[in-house]
Amino acid sequence: MSSNQDLIGIIQAKLSSGETASSCHEASLMQGWVRASRILALVEHENEWALFIFISSRMPPEVFTDLAIERVIPVDSDFKCEIDAGEQSGDVYVNISSRKLKLLFEMIPGIKTNNFVSEIMRSMEALMKLRGPPPEFQWLHKYSGSTSNRNSADCDPAPVDAADVDVTKGAKTVAEKMLDIDSPDIVVPRQSIAQGATPIAARESVIRYQMSMKEDDYTFTETLRVFIGTWNVNGLPPNASLSPWLASDMEPPDLYAVGFQELDLSKEAFLFNDTPREEEWRKAVIAGLHPAAKYRQVALVRLVGMMLILLVQEKHEKHVRNVAWETVGTGIMGKMGNKGGVGIRVEIHNTSICFVNSHLAAHVEEFERRNQDYHDICSRLSFSKFVPTKCIKDHDQVYWLGDLNYRITEMEPRIVRDLISHNSLSALLECDQLNRQRQHKNVFDGYREGPITFKPTYKYDPGTDDWDSSEKNRAPAWCDRILWRGDGMEQKEYRSHPILRTSDHKPVSALFESQIRVIDVVKYRKVHEEVMKKLDKLENEFLPQVTVDNTEIIFDIVRFLEPQSQELIIANTGQVPVDFEFIKKLDDSKYCKEWLNIDPAASSIKPGEKCDVKLELFVDKKSASKLNSGEDKLYDILVLHLDGGKDIFITVTGNYERSCFGSSLEALVHISVPVREIPIGKLVELENVREAPGGMEPYPIPKEIWFLVDHLYRHGLKKQNLFLLTGLHSELIAIRNWLDNGSSEPLPGSLYSIAEALLLLLESTAEPIVPFNLHSVCLGAATNYLQCKQIIMQLPEFRRNVFLYLCFFLQELLSHANENGLDAKTLATVFGAIFLRDPPRVSARGRVNPAVMDRKKASFVYHFLVNDLSDYVMSKSLHLSGTS
Amino acid sequence: MVQEYDHLFKLLIIGDSGVGKSSLLLRFADNTFSGSYITTIGVDFKIRTIDIEGEKVKLQIWDTAGQERFRTITSTYYRGTHGVIVVYDVTNGDSFANVKRWLHEIEQNCEVVNRILVGNKNDAPDRKVVLTEDAQRFADQMNIQLFETSAKDNINVEEMFMAITRQVLRTKQEHKERQAISKDTVNLRPRPSTKKKKCC
Repeated sequence: MSSNQDLIGIIQAKLSSGETASSCHEASLMQGWVRASRILALVEHENEWALFIFISSRMPPEVFTDLAIERVIPVDSDFKCEIDAGEQSGDVYVNISSRKLKLLFEMIPGIKTNNFVSEIMRSMEALMKLRGPPPEFQWLHKYSGSTSNRNSADCDPAPVDAADVDVTKGAKTVAEKMLDIDSPDIVVPRQSIAQGATPIAARESVIRYQMSMKEDDYTFTETLRVFIGTWNVNGLPPNASLSPWLASDMEPPDLYAVGFQELDLSKEAFLFNDTPREEEWRKAVIAGLHPAAKYRQVALVRLVGMMLILLVQEKHEKHVRNVAWETVGTGIMGKMGNKGGVGIRVEIHNTSICFVNSHLAAHVEEFERRNQDYHDICSRLSFSKFVPTKCIKDHDQVYWLGDLNYRITEMEPRIVRDLISHNSLSALLECDQLNRQRQHKNVFDGYREGPITFKPTYKYDPGTDDWDSSEKNRAPAWCDRILWRGDGMEQKEYRSHPILRTSDHKPVSALFESQIRVIDVVKYRKVHEEVMKKLDKLENEFLPQVTVDNTEIIFDIVRFLEPQSQELIIANTGQVPVDFEFIKKLDDSKYCKEWLNIDPAASSIKPGEKCDVKLELFVDKKSASKLNSGEDKLYDILVLHLDGGKDIFITVTGNYERSCFGSSLEALVHISVPVREIPIGKLVELENVREAPGGMEPYPIPKEIWFLVDHLYRHGLKKQNLFLLTGLHSELIAIRNWLDNGSSEPLPGSLYSIAEALLLLLESTAEPIVPFNLHSVCLGAATNYLQCKQIIMQLPEFRRNVFLYLCFFLQELLSHANENGLDAKTLATVFGAIFLRDPPRVSARGRVNPAVMDRKKASFVYHFLVNDLSDYVMSKSLHLSGTS
Repeated sequence: MVQEYDHLFKLLIIGDSGVGKSSLLLRFADNTFSGSYITTIGVDFKIRTIDIEGEKVKLQIWDTAGQERFRTITSTYYRGTHGVIVVYDVTNGDSFANVKRWLHEIEQNCEVVNRILVGNKNDAPDRKVVLTEDAQRFADQMNIQLFETSAKDNINVEEMFMAITRQVLRTKQEHKERQAISKDTVNLRPRPSTKKKKCC
């Protein structure tokens, strides 16, 4: 993986001059339902920041041409970044949003992610601290082409007043082009999923994301009548009913947010933030509320003289959640509470609302201080009980009220009063500092204010409607204002209430009809269920899927020692890579029977690709006897298991042609005709019943052994290395056919092949000549000829016959040692392993050193190769030269 | 972060070959139906998450091969199953007659398990041979809930899966309660010397 520095270099090459990629990070974009790799970069251009989202043709990218810009999001006042740490998965989810655009990124937890996210946060802070007009993001225009266009939802209704001239059009156009949010029902990019192995994003965060994208489907809007009031009371106690201010409308509002400034101008209030006025005014407010409805206080917050009280009609109370309040002082030393703001935030149904009451810096010439206070409140007022903390701008709707203290500039108080008396407010409004500063985007960017039709609310002689008659002779001004920001908010009234004469300010109020999003529980459940269903469906689609070309593998005729194979094609028809494996079933020790070999028995297949599996059926000396006796059949059900998915059963069947190989000595001595000539049922019966079929006197030894030994006796006594060199496979097959089918032709094959066939015949039986139960006794007696002899004499008749017959023959061979070069030790080793074949369990346990075992077997047999065997009672037919 | 689900249950669908086990699963998990018959050769599963009484339940539903020759192998998949859906075909009397065998199969392979009896293909009255009354009588006898469904016409499928899930959920809750009670008992009457050393 390339280092971050390398990555920054590559990204830098993609940018224009003057643009600097300061930080970058790899992340997974939750695209609808699945995640896709992206590279994020924070790019700076003359103190303006933007988040670039790149798609890379390979990960990690190696040159800048690997990168394509998918989206560019300016870090402007609408830009939001929220972190959502997944407790279960440990992954970090970062929500990036800008207006209606919402993107969810998954990042690997760790220092890199931390650094990158803090860089984003830093760029957002830098924006907050920025003074003067907001950034215009002209430099991003050239990138707008790289994003596809789609008509955005109306996220920015036409400005209401002149101050809302669309200066930021450029930036907005860029941002709106970014609104090309993937539809929640985006078609799953199957190809990309196929390449990256982890398709389904963490379910819960996807559900949340999907639900937020589908909010319109399960919410409806309800209109809330919102009354906003602001009054600078000049430190005076209430001395008249507030109803003319608070209850001046016909219909009762649903919600009241009433703000006061200069509630108390005393030192105590300033130093100890304690004042009896709070309760006095609170009571006055409650007494003055609209009589036609009942209200409950939701919250009250005060900082020195700034107080904000929020009340809702009783019927709405249960829908108000997540209430929080905060204060920010911007007064003396930039901290004290003589100036600043207080805020309350709530969620009503599914809409978040923030109310801010502020008292900004005074004096005509101090408009820049006021701007500064506004920015300080914006950056410092954060509701810290939420994680991450929520700021004013993080709310769907914001109401900003207060004594903002903006004045009318460059005008003699006398002229101002004159114009007012002639009702020429528009000329005055043009000189209103707030309007001017807003036009320059220096303050309250993104906020709206209704047209002012009322006289300035400041400054009067308290108790009268007369303009200030003091020495200062202040010019009248619209200090007391109400602004708002957010969707679905409509101001119905904006007025002052001159009839209230307590203060040198007149109270101001505004009435709004605001659209609140209400969750329709039934619809919510339905949408939620749909989202779940969709995810389930995807999860099902992303289960490993394969098809096999054949689930019934049939081998026609299978013969001993002749391998056959068939191919099974496993095709990955699913969306994800598949790891398959043939697994054991029930209590089986292996995933298939011993006569079958599967290659490969486990492997991986990419989507759209195939794997050829070779099934080789091979009946050898190990499996032949069970097939002969009927203990086993050429029938197996293989379980093809897909990791994390289903199992497929594959049936393998074959038709085994029985042979003398694998038949027991006891069965063979009872068969006078070639094995192929007697019916299978008879063979199975012979293997299991061990009774002579009526009429036939059993042979002393199987005729097949006699044929082979006799041939070697006649032609091979002088052959060098007999039993030591292997025969040819094809000749073994021919010998097998000759023995099984019978023939008038001479025995085919070389002497070596015939010798090997003899060994094979002895090895293919279910039990060796010395039965397994005598195995360890024999090994124990190996050094003692007498004991060995006794054991042999106790062997069942046919076994003893075969044993001695073969030993006679081997002695005969050794008598020609001069010609054939054989020696007793070598032959004893070869035949020791055959006469005393290990019981299956012993070899599996493997405790005894096999070399020691082999030596003992050899020494057991050795006795019978070097001692005179003539004292054994021998039946006549055992003579080597005998005929049958 | 909220947990993905409150419960994860494994359900198993068994019954004769061709009664519509896979179709029931396909209808429930993907809300689709395919008229063409494909024998299930193996075991397959699908998942679905449902909401029952405010609890998020993730179901992993295993569909098994119904063919006789696979019976011993499929029985190994009964392990860890919370609920078994025994399906017969209302237009096929033999498949109903075999239900007893399937129920026996469950007894052999599962300890305590919730069961439900399902008569599928209940969409062609003229071809119906297993009468509802007979099936109901049998179900009552076996103390098992009966549903007649049609995966084809999407009749009763959702309800049936909900019913078995509810059963499983109830069993789990009862089990929990029992455990809580037994815990209390221990607390009330602490037994001093019940340490039995197990020999191996």
